[in-house]
Amino acid sequence: MSKFAEPMARLIDELKKLPGVGSKSAQRLAFHILRSPEEDAGSLADAIRDVKARLRLCSVCNNITDVDPCVYCSNPERNQRTICVVEEPTNISAIEKSRNFNGVYHILHGALSPIHGIGPEQLRISNLLVRVENGAADEVILATNPTVEGEATAAYVARILKPSGVKVTRIATGLPVGGDIEYADEVTIQKALEGRHEL
Amino acid sequence: MPLKQSEAIVLRTYPLREADLLVTFFTRQEGKVKGVARSAKKSRRRFGGALEPLTCVRVYWEDRERQELARIDSCDVLQSPLSSEVDYPRAIALGHIAEMLDEVMPDREASDTVFRLAWSVLQNLKAGQVWLPVTYFDLWMVRLLGFLPSLEGCVVCGRSLGEELAWFHALSDGLTCHDHRRIASSEMAVSSRKIAAAMFRAPLDKFIGDPWPRAVAADLRKFLMQILDRHLDKRLVTSAQLDKLE
Ligand SMILES: [Zn+2]
Ligand SMILES: [Zn+2]
Repeated sequence: MSKFAEPMARLIDELKKLPGVGSKSAQRLAFHILRSPEEDAGSLADAIRDVKARLRLCSVCNNITDVDPCVYCSNPERNQRTICVVEEPTNISAIEKSRNFNGVYHILHGALSPIHGIGPEQLRISNLLVRVENGAADEVILATNPTVEGEATAAYVARILKPSGVKVTRIATGLPVGGDIEYADEVTIQKALEGRHEL
Repeated sequence: MPLKQSEAIVLRTYPLREADLLVTFFTRQEGKVKGVARSAKKSRRRFGGALEPLTCVRVYWEDRERQELARIDSCDVLQSPLSSEVDYPRAIALGHIAEMLDEVMPDREASDTVFRLAWSVLQNLKAGQVWLPVTYFDLWMVRLLGFLPSLEGCVVCGRSLGEELAWFHALSDGLTCHDHRRIASSEMAVSSRKIAAAMFRAPLDKFIGDPWPRAVAADLRKFLMQILDRHLDKRLVTSAQLDKLE
């Protein structure tokens, strides 16, 4: 027997499925929802329903979007011939914040992860290949994470793009701006030295 | 409690709460140790790239009374997998070493032999040459775990296999001669048994430089993986990925 009325227990159970939400937090959130005005609870429920009903993947770049193609792929102001490949949709906002990139994206929705059984078939690579083979790109920038998984993914994508002849580049790794060399680890310093350029 | 320290290999990390990482190390001093690296997920400052799986490190930790998880204090990188080229086959091979050690080694039980094996394999595992170190690692691991049958004679009649083809089967232990092979057995070439014998006599770096395409000793690797599958009662995720590599 649950110590809560059935609808309450059900809400707590659903909230517990969210990442980072334990039993205590789920109870707190559930009671907050119970105490909030009818319309607040209603708009939360609507927002959840909407996100599932209206969001899908962009057919060109796999970004999460409510219009297809997405805002980047349909924007004539952006350079549609430079494609930046990232692991996750959330990576886009980090790159956009820099305001230094005016190309378009391709989202793989993950990285090659042998230990988790994630191979090339589990990633969304095929429509990138189609874009490139159709001659829609001058450059593909590989902006996967500088981890073993991200590097393996970049190497894999570079290899399958090679026959198309498109220019493939990898983002640089090295010291963080505003950082101190003294606090950088050995690998970061090694990468920074490898990526040095002449002044 | 005082800090302990050891050379170690980072096997796996899992996100824990908002900012922390749960890390499994294979240490030289105490075998497999699990611990929490506070704030390692949110801030890279304290641990940098040291917690990337398959990094060889010196780890400093504190065991806490009545708690299974240690507190990871700090980690110095001795050798990072990222300091040489990473391609997909190498990533799978690295993952294979981590998965194997994580699956077969018990918690808090040191094995200097396994540690030295894994350490030397990691130093020699480079992009474009994964099959030699993977074969060497699998062969020695299966032997050190005590699972390796004799490669010299038929398990049924005991006859020496000498310069003959040998046979093995997914569901039974050991090699057989031609006469005693089961239906649907696989072949093992004489050359592969010779490779195994040579690998038991010399360290891995003695073989470096020999060309080792995937086909070399592929039958031996299949034999070893079938032994492991039977003993672990499951297939390692990374064994399946190695199988799929061209
Ligand atoms: Zn798009
Ligand atoms: Zn026999």
